[in-house]
Amino acid sequence: MSKQPKSRSTASRGSSPSAGGAAPAVELVRAQRLLVGYGSSPVCGEVAFSLRPGEAVALVGPNGAGKSTVLKTVTGGLEPISGTALVGGKPADDRSLEFRRDVATVFDDDAFFPALTVQEHLAIVAAGHGASDVEELIAAELDFFGLLEQRESLPHNLSSGQRRRMLLAAAFIRPRLLLILDEPEQRLDTAMRTRLAARLRTEVDGGLGLLLVTHDPDFLRAVATRAIFVADEVRKLTPAQAATAISVENPHA
Amino acid sequence: MPDRSAGDLLSAREIRRYTFRAGLVRTEGGIGELISEVYTSVLGAVVLVVMAAALTTGLRDSLGLGSTPVWAASALAPGFQSLPPMQASATVLLTLAAALLSVEMNVGPIALSVPQTFWWLGLPVPRRGFIVPGFLRSALWPAAAAVAVVVPLALGSAAQAGPLQVLLSALCGVGLALLLYGVAGWLQIVGRGRWVRTLAGVVVLVAPLSLVVTALAGTIEGRPVNLGWLQFLPTSWPLLVAQGQLAPLLLLAAAGAVLVVVYANLERLSSSRLKASAVAGSHVAGSVLSMDASELTRALGSADTNVPTRIRLPLVFSRGSATRRSVLTLLSAQLTVHLRHPARLLRVLVLATIPASVAAVQFLGNAPLLAVVVYVAALFGTTGLGHVARFAAGNPSVDALLPLSQQTVRRVHLLVPAAGLTLWMALAFTLLLILGVGSWPLVLLAVLAGPGLGAATLRAAFRPAPNWTMPPVATAAGPIPVGAIRNFVVGPDLVLIVLLPVLVCLASGGVPLLAFPIQLGLTALALAWGTHVRRVAASGGGSIAGSGGPSAGQGR
Repeated sequence: MSKQPKSRSTASRGSSPSAGGAAPAVELVRAQRLLVGYGSSPVCGEVAFSLRPGEAVALVGPNGAGKSTVLKTVTGGLEPISGTALVGGKPADDRSLEFRRDVATVFDDDAFFPALTVQEHLAIVAAGHGASDVEELIAAELDFFGLLEQRESLPHNLSSGQRRRMLLAAAFIRPRLLLILDEPEQRLDTAMRTRLAARLRTEVDGGLGLLLVTHDPDFLRAVATRAIFVADEVRKLTPAQAATAISVENPHA
Repeated sequence: MPDRSAGDLLSAREIRRYTFRAGLVRTEGGIGELISEVYTSVLGAVVLVVMAAALTTGLRDSLGLGSTPVWAASALAPGFQSLPPMQASATVLLTLAAALLSVEMNVGPIALSVPQTFWWLGLPVPRRGFIVPGFLRSALWPAAAAVAVVVPLALGSAAQAGPLQVLLSALCGVGLALLLYGVAGWLQIVGRGRWVRTLAGVVVLVAPLSLVVTALAGTIEGRPVNLGWLQFLPTSWPLLVAQGQLAPLLLLAAAGAVLVVVYANLERLSSSRLKASAVAGSHVAGSVLSMDASELTRALGSADTNVPTRIRLPLVFSRGSATRRSVLTLLSAQLTVHLRHPARLLRVLVLATIPASVAAVQFLGNAPLLAVVVYVAALFGTTGLGHVARFAAGNPSVDALLPLSQQTVRRVHLLVPAAGLTLWMALAFTLLLILGVGSWPLVLLAVLAGPGLGAATLRAAFRPAPNWTMPPVATAAGPIPVGAIRNFVVGPDLVLIVLLPVLVCLASGGVPLLAFPIQLGLTALALAWGTHVRRVAASGGGSIAGSGGPSAGQGR
């Protein structure tokens, strides 16, 4: 098994990110009476939580409950219907340079330059974030995500799972203080899920803030420090309670 | 990537260049391959057109329809009250301006590609460098379109216009186009203006109708409708400039001011808006590649005018055999989908009036021009009624739920487009007949071609998937997948073949008896061709829609 690449989280890099500030006590995310949805129609109850460096908050709940909508709102992709979503003490706004520097996201969608290889995609991200050791970083992430043999492949030659790994590699190859993942376990095989969970846990222990949506109870147990059950009525749960809730919701997961 | 020390960020320009160059390095084909992909189709179309022209001239001679060259003779009945070019030009400009605004608002107008939004917008570099090239490039299209539209209209509507006046008129047109572009850009930045888009969509539908309605009212009712006020709308100001006025050139200053404001606020565009524009642009590109006018209309047109209804037709039938009941269910489901999108049907209906609208304009009632217009309108009409079949082609498992053979399913898919396009042809050619173009035998001939157009709809809808494995070709706009080019002619080819007798008779001005059996033969051929289900080899495909269901076979 490949060993974990050196962490590229902003915290471990030693800079002082504006999104959360240098002090670990500063909240990376704070959602207050946050009502999310499309137009004026809410998709779930009011959400309230905070996330500090070194914490991993998991949003769980049935399909269509509004988990991904919460993530999109927290990342500034949607306007809240009411309430506030603050990232680093400011309203989430992806037009801010600091926001883009410190917040890495992987949603359940993808798009690729059809004529660029896997490593060229990753090079854009690494170099765009100011890395000097681009080749080395790419090699390490490709190794971790099992894509070394596909480094020269074009996206349409990759399987669905390999494309998912490539997107995750793009999120890990860049510095980050806050990582937001929408169902990161999707399309990954069991071994890759386990390795990804271990790496996320290590990075969270090292100061990364992690906000994720997951339907996998094992992944949840391995990664999350807290959980929020999103439905018409939003509840705070421990990871164990949330894992049980997921198992009931999906006994085959 | 250029070498940098740690923490030293690349500029947006460097990232753009890297992405573009890396993509071009990997292209394998050349422009020659693009040409070789399409030359047989182009050559075939040219041969057909030349044959049709020769046939038309020969037919005119044999029918003794006079010695006037076909391209110079008016097809309109003597004494028909044609619309003055100024009114027609004003209507055309109003329609095109509304269409431009609607399109600009739907695709952005400031747009990146979907991968660019995905891989570039998350980088911590000033975004202006990513957005400005798209902003400038997107401004070129409306400006070029304005020149292409305004110059002939200025020449046609102002007989005395000199070169300087035409030039100033074109400049005024560019100003108008850029003003609309700027307005659309500003509305994109602030995220408002749904009502503007809705209004523009309505104008695009209604304005062309005014031409034929005005002409018919003037001729049949004897009460000319005065729409002269149209020329005073700002959209007609380029025509006023062609007539010697200079005040409308203020449009240029207004456009400049709006564009400066938009340029200064480009960084206010959020990722979500840029992504939405990118997806809309991708939708447009996809529908162009698939030559799907229905999808293209949806992509470019106003989504707000396409509100689905809640029409519910019966889907469960109790009488007759299982096959009969399944056929009725399938047919009823297809009708339901059509009726739930009345705006799409309205667009197809408006298309039927376009030939008559063009014929109603003074100097445009020219038979070969009308033949071209009939072909283009029919082409868009066929694809306008093809969205249900296209859905079935992309989602074969839906049809697979019914106990019907592939051939039967395909034939049921033919019914609605065939019936609809038969009515469409009847309407289009009856309107032309009222204007004095053609004769009752021509209307009958057109009606006979209708079912063939329905078959062309199916051929386009169930066309084979493009061969995406062919090498991309390097062009100034980036790599282009060659395999997509070939798909352009599947569908439009059958429309041309089916319409050939009608177009030749329309252009020649007479309908010999021989035209009827020829038309019947071509329609029958089209029906067989369009509903043919090809067996797909087990290992073939590569398309999501190309395997697994009863509709998986591809029409050839």
